[in-house]
Amino acid sequence: MTTNACDPKATLTRRQFLFLSGAALVTLATPKFLQGVPGAEALSLQQAGYPRTKVGQLSALKAGQPVAFQYPFDHPNCANFIYKLGVPAAGGIGPAQDVVAFNSLCPHQGGPLSGRLNTEHQVLGPCPLHLSTFDLTRHGMVISGHATEGLPQIVLELSGDDIYATGVMGLVYGFHNNLAEPNG
Amino acid sequence: MTQYTPQDKVPLPPADAKVFTTACDYCIVACGYKAYVWPEGTEGGPKANENALGLNFPTGVLGGWVSPNQHNIVSVDGRPHHAVVVPDFQSTVVNKGGNHSIRGGTLALKCYNANGPTKDRLQYPQIRVNGKLTPVDWDTALEVMAAVSKHVLEKYGESAWAMKTYSYEFWENTYAITKLAFGAIGTPAFSVHDKPSMGSDTGGVDDAGIITFSASYQDWAEADVLFISGTDPFETKTIVFTSWIMGGPKLIYALPRRTAGVAYAEANGGLFLQVTPGTDTLLHLAINRIILENGWEDKEFVEKWIASSWDVDAGMGRGPRNTPWQWRTTWGQFSADYESYKKWLLEYEPAQLENAAKVTGVPTEKIRQAAEMLTGAGSSRPKASFAFEKGNYWSNNYLNTASFAAMGLLCGAGNRPGQVISRMGGHQRGWMGGPGYPMDKSPEKLPGRRKIQLDLDRWTAAGNVRFVWVVGTTWTAAMAASQELANSFRKLTVENPNQIKSTNKQDIINALIARVDSGGMVVVDSDIYPVEPINTEFADIVLPAAAWGEHDATRANGERRLRLYSKFYDPPGEAKPDWWAIAKFAKKMGFSGWDWENDNDVFEEAARFSRGGVLDYYALVWYARNNGLRGHEVLRELGTQGIQTPIRWVNGKMEGTARLHDSTLQLDSPQGPTVHAKWLTHFDSHSGKALLLKSPWELWSDFYERVTPDPAKGEFWLSTGRINEIWQSAFDDVRKPYIKQRWPDTWVEIHPDDAAQYGIESGDVVRMFSDDIQVQTGGWVRVKGYKFTDLVKAGHIQSGKGEAIAVAIVSEDVRPGALFTNFLHPASPANSLVHRVPDPFANVHRFKLGKAQIEKIGESPYKKSLDEMTFKPRTVTFTG
Ligand code: SF4
Ligand code: FES
Repeated sequence: MTTNACDPKATLTRRQFLFLSGAALVTLATPKFLQGVPGAEALSLQQAGYPRTKVGQLSALKAGQPVAFQYPFDHPNCANFIYKLGVPAAGGIGPAQDVVAFNSLCPHQGGPLSGRLNTEHQVLGPCPLHLSTFDLTRHGMVISGHATEGLPQIVLELSGDDIYATGVMGLVYGFHNNLAEPNG
Repeated sequence: MTQYTPQDKVPLPPADAKVFTTACDYCIVACGYKAYVWPEGTEGGPKANENALGLNFPTGVLGGWVSPNQHNIVSVDGRPHHAVVVPDFQSTVVNKGGNHSIRGGTLALKCYNANGPTKDRLQYPQIRVNGKLTPVDWDTALEVMAAVSKHVLEKYGESAWAMKTYSYEFWENTYAITKLAFGAIGTPAFSVHDKPSMGSDTGGVDDAGIITFSASYQDWAEADVLFISGTDPFETKTIVFTSWIMGGPKLIYALPRRTAGVAYAEANGGLFLQVTPGTDTLLHLAINRIILENGWEDKEFVEKWIASSWDVDAGMGRGPRNTPWQWRTTWGQFSADYESYKKWLLEYEPAQLENAAKVTGVPTEKIRQAAEMLTGAGSSRPKASFAFEKGNYWSNNYLNTASFAAMGLLCGAGNRPGQVISRMGGHQRGWMGGPGYPMDKSPEKLPGRRKIQLDLDRWTAAGNVRFVWVVGTTWTAAMAASQELANSFRKLTVENPNQIKSTNKQDIINALIARVDSGGMVVVDSDIYPVEPINTEFADIVLPAAAWGEHDATRANGERRLRLYSKFYDPPGEAKPDWWAIAKFAKKMGFSGWDWENDNDVFEEAARFSRGGVLDYYALVWYARNNGLRGHEVLRELGTQGIQTPIRWVNGKMEGTARLHDSTLQLDSPQGPTVHAKWLTHFDSHSGKALLLKSPWELWSDFYERVTPDPAKGEFWLSTGRINEIWQSAFDDVRKPYIKQRWPDTWVEIHPDDAAQYGIESGDVVRMFSDDIQVQTGGWVRVKGYKFTDLVKAGHIQSGKGEAIAVAIVSEDVRPGALFTNFLHPASPANSLVHRVPDPFANVHRFKLGKAQIEKIGESPYKKSLDEMTFKPRTVTFTG
């Protein structure tokens, strides 16, 4: 398997950063939820090339009302949602560790998952195309279905009340590289 | 195990990457795939002209894609190469548009990679010396096998030399296996991976005149209503569901457990008949009775296609001795024409609605509703089709299949587009039998001195096998009462005093012959991985096999579609296709006719045995030979599309056959090498008509009562089955970090009411156990009776023990009083809790009817961690 820790192509150009968000900070710190998880180091290095983009405010989030944002590119496949789940979740931020964000294209064949949140079970899906379901409390893991990777999780950080996206775990559907500019 | 780390990029194949067509290695659907292979050091670009996929990245919905788990590093001619294995998104058959399941979608991860989780592939022949597997060369291993085999055959006869093999791992291999076992050796001590004997899987459907894989996937799509018995295609033949069934027919499911497919059915106008395990026959009979009471049967069809009393008795019905048909019908208990079936059923009390509802646990309204949905209840008749699988025929085998066939036939199904009766399948159709089973040599006889295919498990447990070659199956874990069976193995092998103590070939042979002569057994195992316990503990000799993608091979899918599975990378070490090892062994035995040089030689030789059968591909090989081509190359040209067997030669071209018993198929006179079997256009019976078979519950009820769990003793039904994300014993899946994250361990579903009573929560580790597992022993020539009670009276039934450990999942989807677990997890074989008393008519196991008590023994790490496994319901539906 490849890791892209030292891949120069994985670093966005300054122009791209500005185009996307105006944010130009890249964090090398391992996100807190990954500390102690085997494989976390490789993962944090992988996240190194991503922009740090403000995507929402904690105080504005309501349970069951996902907030949309684009990341890391302004491309239809990069449509994501922040969810306040009400229960602790892997990678969750906020005092209850219940705020997470995921890409909204099904990593099976790209089916649209937006709006298909089951709040009782914190499940996204079933996908309208072939019924895959994803566990939002466990890194977007496939519960039942066909996707060959979990739902890509957007790595979040909290700074005061501001929520920043700082990376993507998993390959966004349709992309061959999360950091390859779609129209480049 | 390597921890799963999601990747955020994947290398694309450059425009000049080599492209190979293949089909998925796993379930019956055999989705079309392409493998792109190129040397390390280069990568393709995101523009369509920069990559071999011809795709512009990022792609859009349903536009084709490569996920990181579809890539691996393999060896080609000894040098590292990238391999990307993706569903064929240009396919217009089977997995149209590149649809795929999670199993096949991650095929690339199964490839041998010396630096990855598959690095433990078996690479060299090994012999167990002083208890340790020690590498040897092929010649030594096969010479030892030949010397011991000759001794066994000479001194103890053919039935002491056994084979237990897969039935699915490609036509080239299974042809070689049968050529050796049935042809060269002539042993009756043989069975395949999922049953103890070579009896029919689905006797009641066969005897009705229906060939079990008669349908095309298109038929499921064209039906208006589809009755699915004993399986959920969403879980276990996923693409049949997601590409052909979704958005098509209304679904009626008969299953003990609510599944994702059932949830979809209920949300889309379908019906769920949640049967108590083992009671399907009464459900079918009650539906049939409602149909007949109301005159809802398809009268025109019955008139034209159901055998009359004259047809029933014609031909082989009273034909030569030893036909299965003859001994099943001699007692007159099954066969009927329409009138006598109707009379029998309307008078048959157990089939009466209230009784059936009580026994099956399905409310009367739902049974009635099923009859209405299937027939249109007197108004316009829908196209009804009938699909079934192991939940049906691995419980009450003969009666379930017979009553199921009758239900379909009364609804006018079986011989027209969209109106079919067919199995859906489990694994792919990799069986290409050469010489037939030597029934005359079988030591097992039913009353009336009627020979039946030998029950190899019982034969082995009794110490009658001295040498066995196991090919690609766990054997003990896969069979019923598996713990007891493993104990028998242990006694005959590792606990025998005669063990190999030196690497000298003659010393090895002497030790194994001493084993054989002291009543022990020598075990050879061919496989691709270390497998508990068959080759890690029992086998004296272990042979490494080349697998999918490592040699050119062929097989068919659930609609008889034949494809070439291309070789695209090197097998590990000295691993060889099984046909190669078998041919080399045969030569060491002094047999002639084993000079194949490559996969294609075997494929072409086997063709003549397929002729006139359901998998007939003789016309393809005939065409290849006439044109100086090779059979495999002709098939390679057909790519992922392949061709549906039987292949016919029509107007100078090969033509496939969409469905069997197709009353709409127009046939001219046969051309070229083509043979027109009657069942192409008619049913598979002497008269060409279908037979209604009675299915009296009394033939089964004594066994059923004996194995029904007693809640007062804390006993549960234990049903086993597959789950979508895992294939078979998880032999590849435990080496796929992505899948392993989802299912790190085996599991058992338990209803919340039961869980509360035992203090069990999701994530707890539970022990399932029983000391009341029924095991049939001895009794090779039975003089009287074939029922369970007769076996008990004759002293042929014992009680044994079983136990399995699993992670609990508390779920509303299982019935109270019933557990559901993975059928074959290597760590915890649930089959130890399944009775080993095969169906008397077919000698197949009743795998779905285990029983167990349960207790909590601890907590799994997954109960609290959010990184592995999930306990969310699988049946969530979208109501927004
Ligand atoms: S449905 Fe079956 S054949 Fe198709 S990809 Fe999945 S496992 Fe393979
Ligand atoms: S695209 Fe979502 S399940 Fe297929």
